[in-house]
Amino acid sequence: MRFMVMVKATKDSEAGAPPTRELLEAMMAYNEELVKAGIMKGGDGLQPSSKGARVQFDGSKRSVVDGPFTETKELVAGYWLWECASLDEATAWVKRCPNPMPGPSEIEIRPLFELADFGEVVTPEAAAAWDRLKAEVGQG
Amino acid sequence: MRVMVLVKADKDSEAGIMPSEDILTKMGAYNEELVKAGVMLAGEGLHPTSKGLRMRFSGSERTITDGPFAETKELLCGFWLWQVKSFAEAVEWLKRAPFDGGTEIELRPVFEMEDFGEALTPELREQEDRLRAEAAKRAG
Repeated sequence: MRFMVMVKATKDSEAGAPPTRELLEAMMAYNEELVKAGIMKGGDGLQPSSKGARVQFDGSKRSVVDGPFTETKELVAGYWLWECASLDEATAWVKRCPNPMPGPSEIEIRPLFELADFGEVVTPEAAAAWDRLKAEVGQG
Repeated sequence: MRVMVLVKADKDSEAGIMPSEDILTKMGAYNEELVKAGVMLAGEGLHPTSKGLRMRFSGSERTITDGPFAETKELLCGFWLWQVKSFAEAVEWLKRAPFDGGTEIELRPVFEMEDFGEALTPELREQEDRLRAEAAKRAG
């Protein structure tokens, strides 16, 4: 099963406070374990929401709102994509993560949809097209 | 530069209601354009938060709270990762996405190694490069 593992923002990450060398080293060692275990499929840090924007869709209308956004603890500051046998395994790996922030923090784990989950709505042609696109992008 | 595109949830996505065949078809065509333009790096749908959980980090304490979570419009239901020449290019691509009413989508630039400054020592940078290459090899 695949999971998105999201590090939620804090006022430190939103302030653009860079990680210390100690945290970078601890996180790099953790990422190394994830890669060696065959779990790591991707991961990035997101710049503070002051560097971002939101687009609102309403019929054919598009409105753009620049960051920063206020609901700090609901914002995403970073993510990983993992492949694990179960939610329990993913949870156990998250428990071993070094605290990604200087103070208290939160990590959210969400299973990803696979094509099979969409059931009959996805026609065989659509499924084949999706597989082809993924292959072109170089994703498993 | 790389930009993460975060699709916010609504009560339908949280209820596990699948998008219609019409939307899935339009989304397939849109994803095809993103791939052909060399913009698409990754994209996934997330299962509702009822299938997920959050873990709180505080000192050495780890506390788990199972989904679902209440603040629907701040939750994620999907994401893309895009390669673009500028943030403005990402905004223009996003405006063309086939979402209709009431959707909000957040765009966030992703940290590249240069952004970490001095804390990212040459050793750490080398380790990061090696880990990304190893993860890509295992995924391929």
